[in-house]
Amino acid sequence: ATWKYSLEEAIDEVQGVYATKFKEYIEANSDNEVQIFPFGTLGESNDTTELAQMGAIQFATASPGFTGSLIPELQVFLLPYVLPEEHAVLADFYQTSETINDMLAAKYEDKSLHLVDMYPEGEVVMTTKEPVTSPADLDGVKVRVMTSPMLIETYDAFGATPTPLPWGEVYGALQTNIIQGQENPMFFVESTKMYEVTDYITYAGHNNFTTAVVANKSFFDGLSDEDKTLVQEAANAAYEHIMDYQQGLTERSEAKILEAKPSMTVTHLTDEQRAPFREAAQQVREAFVNEVGGDAQAVLDGFEADIEASKARVAE
Amino acid sequence: MSESDAAPGGGPDPTEPRSQFSGLLKPLAWIDGAIARFEAVVLAIGVMIMATVSVANVIGRFVLGESLFFVEELNRFLIVLITFVGLGYAARMGRHIRMSALYDSLPDRARKILMIVICLVTSAVMFVLAWYAYIYVVSVYDTGRIAPSLRIPVYLTFVWVPIGFVITGIQYLLTAVANLTRPDVYISASVVDTYEDTETQV
Amino acid sequence: MAEVMISVMVVLLLLGFPMMIPLIAGCFVAFFIFMPIPPEIMVQQMLGGIRPAALVAVPMFILAADIITKGHSADRLIDMVMRYVGHMRGGLGVTAAASCALFGAVSGSTQATVVAIGSPLRPRMLEAGYRDSFTLALIVNASDIAMLIPPSIAMIIYGVISGTSIAELFVAGIGPGLLILVLFASYCVFHAWRHDIPTQPKATWQERLKATRDALWPLGFPVIVVGGIYGGIFSPTEAAAVCVAYAFVLEFLIFRSLKWADLFEIAQSTGLITAVVFILVGAGNAFSWAISFNQIPQEILGSIGLDEASAIMVLVAISIAFFIGCMFVDPIVVILVLVPIFAPIVDSAGIDPVLVGVIITLQVAIGSATPPFGCDIFTAIAIFKRPYMDVIRGTPPFVVMLLGVSVALILFPQIALFLPQLAFGK
Ligand code: NA
Ligand code: NA
Repeated sequence: ATWKYSLEEAIDEVQGVYATKFKEYIEANSDNEVQIFPFGTLGESNDTTELAQMGAIQFATASPGFTGSLIPELQVFLLPYVLPEEHAVLADFYQTSETINDMLAAKYEDKSLHLVDMYPEGEVVMTTKEPVTSPADLDGVKVRVMTSPMLIETYDAFGATPTPLPWGEVYGALQTNIIQGQENPMFFVESTKMYEVTDYITYAGHNNFTTAVVANKSFFDGLSDEDKTLVQEAANAAYEHIMDYQQGLTERSEAKILEAKPSMTVTHLTDEQRAPFREAAQQVREAFVNEVGGDAQAVLDGFEADIEASKARVAE
Repeated sequence: MSESDAAPGGGPDPTEPRSQFSGLLKPLAWIDGAIARFEAVVLAIGVMIMATVSVANVIGRFVLGESLFFVEELNRFLIVLITFVGLGYAARMGRHIRMSALYDSLPDRARKILMIVICLVTSAVMFVLAWYAYIYVVSVYDTGRIAPSLRIPVYLTFVWVPIGFVITGIQYLLTAVANLTRPDVYISASVVDTYEDTETQV
Repeated sequence: MAEVMISVMVVLLLLGFPMMIPLIAGCFVAFFIFMPIPPEIMVQQMLGGIRPAALVAVPMFILAADIITKGHSADRLIDMVMRYVGHMRGGLGVTAAASCALFGAVSGSTQATVVAIGSPLRPRMLEAGYRDSFTLALIVNASDIAMLIPPSIAMIIYGVISGTSIAELFVAGIGPGLLILVLFASYCVFHAWRHDIPTQPKATWQERLKATRDALWPLGFPVIVVGGIYGGIFSPTEAAAVCVAYAFVLEFLIFRSLKWADLFEIAQSTGLITAVVFILVGAGNAFSWAISFNQIPQEILGSIGLDEASAIMVLVAISIAFFIGCMFVDPIVVILVLVPIFAPIVDSAGIDPVLVGVIITLQVAIGSATPPFGCDIFTAIAIFKRPYMDVIRGTPPFVVMLLGVSVALILFPQIALFLPQLAFGK
């Protein structure tokens, strides 16, 4: 059969690399064919998720940042300082977390979706026009965020002025100084040329952009056991590949940026410098629990326990 | 462009569409008139709200350093509302864009027949779309998607879509009836086919 | 499948169906005959087509343009311009072309340019003796320059999809943009000379000064738009709403030329025009989606075989593909779908991606003003209430000039690349 698979990014970005590996595995090990639709060719994220729900396409990349309007608890992935900062722990966490693979997976099923896989796309960095080492440096700085309540809350807590802008206008707005900052994973800062219109890149370790691969539920349930195993194996292969690929991806993107713009200043905040940001993050967690309700608290608690377990496993 | 029996500038006043309904159907005429007024008011107010909140957002951000987070979502909602309320209103006013070169060159009788076919087909297409729009709205309702800033269910912002298609379908049906029952060629139930007499209004 | 869709569409179009019907019929063919997926996706994609935030600028510029045309601002601005250029052959035409270029440059929207510059200038050009077919074609095509001169949404999307520097693209668009302006301006002068369009007696400096003083308030429009956008106060989309506010202040509070009832009527007509254009944008998006979903471009391009082609052949193929694509489908969708398909070919032919970006942007701009399905044409029909054929009658010379610029760009890439090389020292 031919399976259609949509992305929120271009084919050579992280989601595309994952999808290409997934496609290669499926096509090498079965007669099935996978057609990949990169960013925009089937609509924006909410539309493509809906297409997967309706069964028009079989697979979709649906970042929890967008899917939060469908499953509110998924906004947990937007919270600052919740996900592990260390790559190995992160890699283990997504694979082993019961909170993700049981509790949240069940919520996808309720929405006619099957959660195939979840993976990180890289540490989120802030790019700004002035250096940032403390929340005080963000005072009065307009930072563009997606219109998600949790991101707005986050930058509010960090001391900045969160500013909504459609993605298409961000580059121009940075150029003309309507806004003075934005956040994204490093590879995306490189591929979307955000560094051309900002001067400072700051690693605060506050988040790692997470995305999810979902399948239409009745499509997946209707697969033969053999095909179900095939999809899972393809996802595992792609997950391993993407975690390898990401080792050093941030550094590679950074090198490319510095080559294109040597004047760019890259700062990794120290633990001490991160402390006030971590402290501010506390109020965002509270807002998450209060505003989302439902299983929000349980998800947060589950994440903490799962991350502890992953840390222990990695330490061994 | 070829209707000779409508004096230039002497066409019907499109803000007061002549009704299809007479005699026992008078109450329908009243409903039709009410819908027309409602559409006009929604269009005007929708556009004015859009302008107001967009300016308020600029002032808020530049003067007060605070953005209005709901503006983008509200504007998207208003665009959908304006487009689909306007869909029916434009059909009523005979303002939908057509390429009429070939059609204009036909003799009167052929044009009339073609116009009846066009209206019936267009009407049918609108009803089909209304049905699928209804199914779509229901499916959005079922998924329970919430607009993140306005915190309202997304399906509510789409309810005018099936209604707009239905109203447009009815308008084209009425236009077909007008062409079948009256001598002139009508491009809407109340507008005779000519560009000249619509040129001066709006 | 593509053949069936296109044939059905062209037949319905020629028969004189409302323009949304051919587009929707194309979808019906795809959904009901060829695709085993839920048809309500058509509705989803229609809504998706009218959702982009930047589209809000269109009704806002329509509203602002209508307010100043019904009030005094537009007349005073044009009176002033006439005092300076009225005695020159083709002066008003050149002014229209330059205004479209300037306004298009800052607003970034070809549709908004048609509205904002076209509504006030068209009646004056007709009054001055220009033919309507020429006037309409000039307005529709001069607005193309909007996409080439920064800011440009088309270039940003190309830059992101292809990984090309947006800053370099922006600078590279300026040369071809100005070249087009010069060509159009020359054509205006030629047209005025050939049709012997009368000139006005040369105004004295006193008259010019007075006209300038009268236009002082309305001159705030270019100042606000240019200053506000480049000064970082608002985005190009928001500039539209700010223009509405300024127009309102001028006409209702300062000139007192309009009444509240007028505002209601203007807003209502704005809503109507918006709806007429946007239903086509929406239907066009649903149609593009069906094309994209079925991977039709991949099929067609795959059968041509460009792997061994020379750089010039690749550029010619790209120009033709984008030009044809944009005749039928929304420009942004064309960029999203076609750029990744051409990327490996561009790469292996060793062509500068900045040059490719400029050529693509130019084709996209031409396409949006070219029949049968061009957004700018729809906008002009809705705004000026002229039949489709009247709007496109004068188009051919402009399209020929634009295609000439495309050829020039392919043969002499320096037209685009000179400025970025100067600016970025590459
Ligand atoms: Na521009
Ligand atoms: Na076109």
